[in-house]
This record gives sequence, C-alpha cells and structure tokens, in this order.
Amino acid sequence: MNRIEAPRLKEIDTINFIEPRKVLIGNIAPFYSIENQGSEAARIELFFKAGTIIDRPVLASLCSGLLLAGTSKESATDIHNNIDDLGGFFDINLSQEHTVVSVYALNDQIIPLLTIVMDAMYNASFPEAEIEEQIADKKQRLRVSYEKVNFLCQRDFQKRLFEGTNYAKVTEIEDYETVTRSEIIDFFNSNYRNGLLKATLVGRLQEKQLIEIEQLLEPWAGKEVTNDTPIFKQQKGNYHIEKTATVQTGIRIGRIMFDRKHEDYHGFVIMNTIFGDYFGSRLMKNIREDKGYTYGIGSALAEMKDNGYFIIGTEVGAEVAAATLKEIQFEMTHMKEQLVDKEELELVRNYLLGQALKSADGPFAMMDLFLGVEMHGLDYSFYNEALKKLKQITAVEIQSLAKKYLVWEEMLVITAGQQLID
Amino acid sequence: MRPKQRKILQNFNFNMIQFERFELKNGLKVIFHKDTSTPMAVVNTLYDVGARDEQEDKTGFAHLFEHLMFGGSVNIPSYDAPLQNAGGESNAFTSNDITNYYNVLPAQNIETALWLESDRMLSLAFSPKSLEVQRSVVIEEFKQRYLNQPYGDDWLLLRPLAYLKHPYKWATIGKSLQHIEEVQLDDVKAFFQKHYNPANAILCISGNFEFEYIKQLVEHWYGNIPGGIKPARILPQEPKQTEFRKAVYERDVPADAFYYAFKMGERKSEEYYIADMLSDELGKEKSSVLYLKLKKELQLVTDINAYILGSLDQGLFIISGKMMNGKSMDELDSALWEVLNEFQLNPITAQELKRLKLKIRTSREFQEQGLLNRTMNLAYYELLGDANGINEEHEIYNAIEVEHLQELSKQLFVKENCSLLQIKATQSHE
Repeated sequence: MNRIEAPRLKEIDTINFIEPRKVLIGNIAPFYSIENQGSEAARIELFFKAGTIIDRPVLASLCSGLLLAGTSKESATDIHNNIDDLGGFFDINLSQEHTVVSVYALNDQIIPLLTIVMDAMYNASFPEAEIEEQIADKKQRLRVSYEKVNFLCQRDFQKRLFEGTNYAKVTEIEDYETVTRSEIIDFFNSNYRNGLLKATLVGRLQEKQLIEIEQLLEPWAGKEVTNDTPIFKQQKGNYHIEKTATVQTGIRIGRIMFDRKHEDYHGFVIMNTIFGDYFGSRLMKNIREDKGYTYGIGSALAEMKDNGYFIIGTEVGAEVAAATLKEIQFEMTHMKEQLVDKEELELVRNYLLGQALKSADGPFAMMDLFLGVEMHGLDYSFYNEALKKLKQITAVEIQSLAKKYLVWEEMLVITAGQQLID
Repeated sequence: MRPKQRKILQNFNFNMIQFERFELKNGLKVIFHKDTSTPMAVVNTLYDVGARDEQEDKTGFAHLFEHLMFGGSVNIPSYDAPLQNAGGESNAFTSNDITNYYNVLPAQNIETALWLESDRMLSLAFSPKSLEVQRSVVIEEFKQRYLNQPYGDDWLLLRPLAYLKHPYKWATIGKSLQHIEEVQLDDVKAFFQKHYNPANAILCISGNFEFEYIKQLVEHWYGNIPGGIKPARILPQEPKQTEFRKAVYERDVPADAFYYAFKMGERKSEEYYIADMLSDELGKEKSSVLYLKLKKELQLVTDINAYILGSLDQGLFIISGKMMNGKSMDELDSALWEVLNEFQLNPITAQELKRLKLKIRTSREFQEQGLLNRTMNLAYYELLGDANGINEEHEIYNAIEVEHLQELSKQLFVKENCSLLQIKATQSHE
C-alpha cells in the first residue's frame, strides 16, 4: 500500500447558511431565532448596551454582577434556587461594547427560566450587602490578575492603543473604594432599562412560545445610541512593565486596523492566517516549532464596532523575550519581502475553507456566524465574498497587504516581566 | 451500579447516541457513530496510557511524548500540514490516565486523517530535532501554566500530599523541569514500542458515513499494522489513608487558598456517580451548601467549590477556595467541618435531589451538541468497558437517592480521609 502519498482531496463545494427568523421586539430590538432540531438544548442571549466603554468600567462590571442579586421580595439565594429548580444555567459576559446575559435550559424550561431572570432583573434592588460582597470578590480577583504577566501586558496594550478614548479605560483597585450604590443604580437604569439591543434564541419552540418570549422582553427593548465612533490615533513605541521573579515574559504587539466593511478586510484575514493565525502559521513554525521559545503564539484581527485592531500575543521564556521580538520582526519583514509560495497559499486556502465549513456546523455555530455579520450591519453575502476572495487571492496581493500593514515601526510593543536581556 | 427505579426517567425523552463497533485482527477496537446532520467528521484515537504509567524518575514523559506524536511519522514528514491542507485541525491531551488525539475535518476528506493517524500508529520518525524543540516547548508550557501563575503550582503540591505510593502523586506535566530536561531519544522509542500499538488503542470515528465504508477504510489503513501486546498495568497501590495530613506553603499571592482532598472511589465504582452529585450539591452553584454557609452567611471566603477528579484509579473529592481578606484559615476549617457534619445528619430534600438530576440532564444535553465531545466520550466509555455506558449513565444518576448521598458523605468526610493543603499569602491587603 502507498503510505507516502496523501489521499486525494475533495473540494468543499457549498456551505449552507441558515437565515434566522427575525421579529422586532417593541418595534425596535431585533429578536433572532434558529431552530435546534433533534435536541432539547435551548439558549437565549440578551445583548444590553451596558458595556465598559459607556461609563466608568467599574460600574459596568459591578452592575453586571448584581443583576440577579435580589429584589425587594427575593434574596439572591432565592433567585438562584429558582433557577436551579428548572435545571437551568446562566452566565453574564461583559465586554467593551455590551453585556450579554445568556440562559441555558431544556426546551420545556427555557421560558420559565427567562421569566425568573427577567423578573429578578426588573425588580433588582441592589442590596448594600451584595454590593460589598461583589466589591470584595472583584478586588481580590484583580489582585490575583496583577500577578500575571499576561494580564499586565494585555491591559497596558489596551490603555496605550486606545489612548484618549473610552476603550482605554480600565478598572484599578482604587475605583472600588469610591463607587457608590446610587451610581450603580443609575447605571442600571440608563443601560439596562430600554437597553436591550437584540436577543437570540437557539432551541425548538412553538410559534406561540416565541411570542411569549417577545412579550417578556418587550419592556426592555431599546435602540442603540449612534455615538460618533472614537477616532483612534496609531500608537507606536516599545514599553516594558517590570515584574520581578517571573520566569516568562508576556508580549503584546499591535496596531489599529479596520472593521469588516473595509476593502482590505478579507485579504488581510488570509494574510494574517499565514502570518500568525493557525497552528502551522509562520509565527508558530518559527517561534514554537523551530526555536521552542514558547508554548504558543498567535496573531488576530480583533473586531470592534466600526473598527478593529491587529494583535500578536504570546508568553515566552524570560531569557528569550528579546530574541522573540527580533524573530517576530523578522517574520514581518519576510512576509513583505518574499512572495508566499504556491504550496503554502494552497494549504491556507484549503484550511480556511474547512474552517468555514466547521464554523457553520450546527445551530449554535450558525447563530454566532450570523451575529458576526449582523453587528456590522452586514449579511451572509459577506461570507460568500470571503470565500470568493479565498479562491481568487494571489501571492502578490498578499505581499502588498503585508507591506501596507505589517510595518514593525508602526507597531505598539508591550512586554511585561523581568528586564529584557539582549 | 444498576438503576433501582425508573420513575423520573419517564419524564425525559432521551436521545440515545447510536454507534457500531468492530475489532481488527491486530486488536484495534473501532467505534463508529453516524451523524447525518453534520458536514464534518471526527477521528479520535485514545491510547490507554497516561502519566500513571510513567516511572517515578521519568515523570512528565507521557505528555512530552504526546507532543512528539506531531513531529512526523515513519512515512510522512509532517503531521499537521497535510491535515490542514484537507481543511482539518488536530490536537491532543494527556491526563494521568489516558492520551487522546483528535482530528476534525470536512467529511469528504476523512481518509486524510486515517492515513496520518494510522501512519503514526505504525511508527514515528523519531527525529532528534523534534525531541529538542518539544522539550523546550514543554518546559515553556510548564512555566506558563504552573510556575508563572499565582496559585499555579498548587496541584504540584497537593498530589504528593494526597498520594504517597500511587503514581497519581505527580501531575501530567511532571514533578520537575529536570525530568523533562533529561529525556533521551531511546526513552521515546521504548515508550512507543510499549504503549503505542493497535491493541492498546481505541479508534472512534463519527460523521455522515455508511458503516461499511468506514469498515473498509479502517481495514485498509490500519489492518496491516503489527498487533503488539497490550501492556500489563501493575501500579503501586495506594495504602488506605488512616491519618489526617496537612501541608502549609507560603507564596507571594494576594489571598490565602485551601484545598481539602478526600479519597474517593475509582471511576468505575458506584461511588463515583454519587460523589459527582454530592459535589454538585455541596459546591457547584450559588445555591450550593458550602457557598450559602461559608460565603453568603459567614463571609469567610470569596470563592468556594466542590468537585471530583474522575480518575480511573482511586480519586479525590476536592473542596477548595480562597479566603476573604482578614479571615483566617482556622476559622474556615472549623466552619467547614461543621457544615460537613451537619450535612451528614440532615442531607437534602427530595426537591433538591430532583433539581440536581435535572441539572445533570441539562448539562449533558449541551455537551452532546458537539460532534467532537460525543466522539471522545464514546472512546472513553469503551475504555471504561462499554461505549454504551454513554447511554446508560443517566439511569445511574437517576437511581441515586438522598440516603446514598448521606452515606457517602459519612464515609468521605472524616479527618483520617483528608489531606489539607494551605497556601499562605505573604502579600497583605487591607
């Protein structure tokens, strides 16, 4: 038998995108749903405008932690007992632009669960004792984070990259000392009440149950405020945060980019995959698989509303941190000076096609895929464009994108750990 | 453990996970799970070898070896590139018990995964460069996860306290960086010879295929790999713990932390399921016993959890958490034992038991959403004795009664069965 030669590959010909059912809650906020056939698992996600950029981040953080912390009639424990009685779960995720409240249960239990959660939020009373407990917990968690080089460089990167905008704001221990209960309540009233921007459901429910969900959510529906997007200045330069007695150094490198509506978007994603965004990328091959400097390194195009940024992240042995920076610089130069060879480009094409197929596999993945375009005001034609670009892109085009964007001198470089050794 | 009653079960509409099974002449066990709804396929290979099979002076080896499995095989210089070229991705993990490799790729290219996976079962390239690089990578992994994180080495300290003889006394990453530094290529070859053969593996494949097609492909790619012998496993037995153990370490961290480790039954015992449910009741959610008493009421801790290690040999039931600043671990200790004693007298209500079961059911439904999860689990249950265990487990949970939880808590939560690790913070904060 022939074990030397690879089996013949077959092209991926189609990817099926499923359009969610869409209705407007209270004539404002879209509610999207996709049926989860053959399963009892149901998930509802609620997107509130209560992200960290809207005010002091400490308010968004504390408020999100206190949503289910008690009403005038029920304690936090009562509420959690009720959720548990339904076999349900919830989580609350805070990002710069949103707070997302998610609930998970079996189909039969999802509406009762949503009812409990919305009722607890509607009547949230923000008890003093709960606020104090939250503050103590969050202060401790922040102190633990201060011990991590990864956290230190990520945070400094954020502060510097977005300098002068709300995106640069972070929470320090002192912020917890000054925050008051009435500020938290004000934050809740302005950003949760009439702050539900959209909702999603993945599950298998009857039409009348979907209407029931819409009714439950109606009092919350609000409209996104179209603030002017902040103007980000390109920040550059090298900064080091000293943390003694560490055996690894955290590294973040990046620059402001653009969002999914930019003409270079699809091409940049392909170029970046080759550079640092999969296990066989240039950065991984050199810095992990040849030099053994790290357990992992990667780069990504991170997305924000109407904007985006490029970021390289890794943790490397303290003694090879300076050498790693040189290798990253080398890989950028290499991308700019040498055309990607046919074999590598073909591999990345195939790899990305396979990943696209996977990212559309199953109703939960499909909803995430849909939200990825919805948040930018786009539709599924965006992915068809991406697939088209994937088939057409040339090595010359990739090189010109690298020349345009992978410019070492324009990068912000943050390191955290021991002093760098040359 | 067999189910005693099926009352609750009738309320649920269980989706059985269907599968078929066959075995090759060389001893390779194969499970096939058909899923017509997905365009993807998963090829999962479980090798019945983990950190517990290492020698005490060469720890961390099974995990380092897992890295080397991606360093090229006898006929194919690179593992990852051809798989990526087929639109797929691969990864693996090592535990104290097993080493598990998986490939996820578009179904039409499944043969690429079988070609790659079978060739590295046949033999590795054993490249010296791969050993040197992966040695460094694993050392960085050791630093990143265990040495350069606050509380990162807690488990490196807890394991040798809880286990005196059994190889569970070291973590999969190994006892020390030195063991990784000393590995020789001959060790790698010997380990492969002993543990990596068809008789010691379970292959599980899933996707939208016909069973006959899969049989034919597997026969083609794996049929002529020499059989080998499934290595006998004779591990040092852990003597029954008869004394309370305690160790205290100082660390430069912001808050005191504690781990109470109680010895419990092995994965295949009835006790495992009862302990799983008991840990949920004591410390999983914000309605759990320990959370309510120690955090909400007494405000001793910022964080408290109870969970179990599903080890194939004797396991651990863990209660761990972090102290609220200004509260002492002595206060916590007496309060914790009081709660545990109280629980033994007045365990839980029928309503609480019912909701524990419902939560287990919900979790399971979400876990099974993923093709990869289902495929890995089928292989793991086959290792436990029967892949169909995946469909039988809910009955075992459903048969658990309040008395089972009470009995087990009496048996587990006694001082002689406990090892306590305390991490004293040297940082001070108001």
